[in-house]
Amino acid sequence: MPKGLVALVTKKRIMIILVAGIAAILATVTFLRHDAFLYHTPVAQVTAIVKVTKTSEVDSYNNRDQQIHQVVRVRMLNTNRRGQTIRMGNDYVRSQALDFPLRPGQQVFLTKSKDGYQLNDMKRDAVLGGLLVATIVLLILFAGKHALVTMVSIALNTAVFFWGVHYELSLQDRGPWILVGVLAVVFTILTVLFVIGVRPVAVAISLSTLLATGLAVALGYGLMQATGYKGIHLETVKYVTQNPQLIFFAQVVIGSLGAVLDETSDISVAVFQLPAGGKERFMAGMAIGRAVMGPLIAVLFMIFMADTFIETVMWLRNNNTIAYTVSWVMGLGFTQSLISAFGIVLAVPITSGLAALLGRRHAA
Amino acid sequence: MNSMLTLILALAVLMVLVGGHQGLRSFFGLMVNAIVLLVSVILMAGGFNPVIVGVIAAVVILAATIFLSSADVQVAGPAFVSALIVMFALVAVIIGVLTISHTAGFGAEDGEELEGMSTALGVSFPAIAMAAGLISTLGAVAEAAIAVAAGINELDVERDWQGILQMGREIIGTAINTLFFGFFGGFAGLFIWFAQLKYPLWMVLNDKIFVGELLDVLFSVIAVILTVPVTSWVVRQRTLGARKNIK
Repeated sequence: MPKGLVALVTKKRIMIILVAGIAAILATVTFLRHDAFLYHTPVAQVTAIVKVTKTSEVDSYNNRDQQIHQVVRVRMLNTNRRGQTIRMGNDYVRSQALDFPLRPGQQVFLTKSKDGYQLNDMKRDAVLGGLLVATIVLLILFAGKHALVTMVSIALNTAVFFWGVHYELSLQDRGPWILVGVLAVVFTILTVLFVIGVRPVAVAISLSTLLATGLAVALGYGLMQATGYKGIHLETVKYVTQNPQLIFFAQVVIGSLGAVLDETSDISVAVFQLPAGGKERFMAGMAIGRAVMGPLIAVLFMIFMADTFIETVMWLRNNNTIAYTVSWVMGLGFTQSLISAFGIVLAVPITSGLAALLGRRHAA
Repeated sequence: MNSMLTLILALAVLMVLVGGHQGLRSFFGLMVNAIVLLVSVILMAGGFNPVIVGVIAAVVILAATIFLSSADVQVAGPAFVSALIVMFALVAVIIGVLTISHTAGFGAEDGEELEGMSTALGVSFPAIAMAAGLISTLGAVAEAAIAVAAGINELDVERDWQGILQMGREIIGTAINTLFFGFFGGFAGLFIWFAQLKYPLWMVLNDKIFVGELLDVLFSVIAVILTVPVTSWVVRQRTLGARKNIK
């Protein structure tokens, strides 16, 4: 086929995906803005802001803010009062740490009390659904067939994760710890099967991923035990009431698994393709690993640290010292990044060694 | 001895043992990033516009990550240019989405963290959420840009274009895996909370914290998907431009 024609065919395909994609995004958002009938909680849409009153306030740390009261008109979208318009109030603080302003067009959940309806929370499914479909469209556009494989593998891993979370609640004693180990094995094998398939190299990838992650957790645990967890506050793991240590290590294992898998497959696939002898193969694997470990650590570091931003700002504005805030708020995200980084670094020699060894046996 | 310091030292030793000179540079890059993050969060708390602080921090973090972990200027140069292009596109997407999502600040599940704290602080929490959303994508952008630029350098941009597209697709696939596991790893506690209190699905899908976190992951995924074609294009323009000059 002449080159021009190939370009034409792909261009036509891209146009089709693009048009279908935009249609899919619009359809999703439109549906999710008209899905109030699916909810039992009252849903309403803001139609107008009637009145706004502002009062300035200063807290005990001299932070200046504004308390704002809105009177709004909303139209009910479900329940037996559907179609009716009600007036209600909304109080929010200008800095929006806990609450938010209402704007016309916005959809919200209400709670009913004897004094009438009050604002409960924002309805966010349309934004989430819209961005999710937009991401999938981009994925299909730029990743082709890989998009499907990636989505199925993530969907399966998500299902396993939710099953694990539910099952964890019924376990006692050492049960949850064993569950985390089992989950790590299942995640690894599932992902490798989807990304790599049933090939000898898959064994090298799975084994080195599990070994590196296990060693990293053991090293992190050992070092923290030996130093008495000084300066590390495991009890600050968010949203956890019991067994914070377990949840912390579960988060380390699950969080670093993807990055370590990424690295071990890069190294193993490249090393398995090399014809040279064991030592050359090992060195080639090390060279690849050295180049990718820095950026991979940065991926997790940015994700874990960005999550601490709002709380850090709140602590600092509440007159806590920087050292105290860093230790209590940013410390745990930093610790999680460090132990995950152990796994990413340890995976380099482990994978290079295993791939050089297993690949040779396979070739022979 | 302080546990945190011990862990940092252990990582430095490991990185030097495994990576030698390059390992040391990568470790140094990580420490630079940590300091930049700390300084920017202090500036945000000090009343500077969080989005502007975030964008400046983002440029520094991308430069530190890309130039310190990749010794080859042929790779680092185009990777950095592409990462900047993607980052500015992302700023627009993030500001747009977070303006309508109202996911900034704290959620109902954060109650315990807020005890005894003043929350009327005079800093814009939506703007901080935008800065945090941008910064959480940077590692993924840098990683993908380096991978693509390094991969293309081994191929010929004119003859091997199909091979380059194929490589790009694989990079997107593995990067998305990394991001989703990172997300589950960051929020296993929240999911246990949902399960314990038997949240119905609709409540999870509208929950402030859950939606906010998932939006951040989607920003990263979009960032990675965009980084691959943008980097391919930048390297191609650069190589073709250089060839024209020689002719």
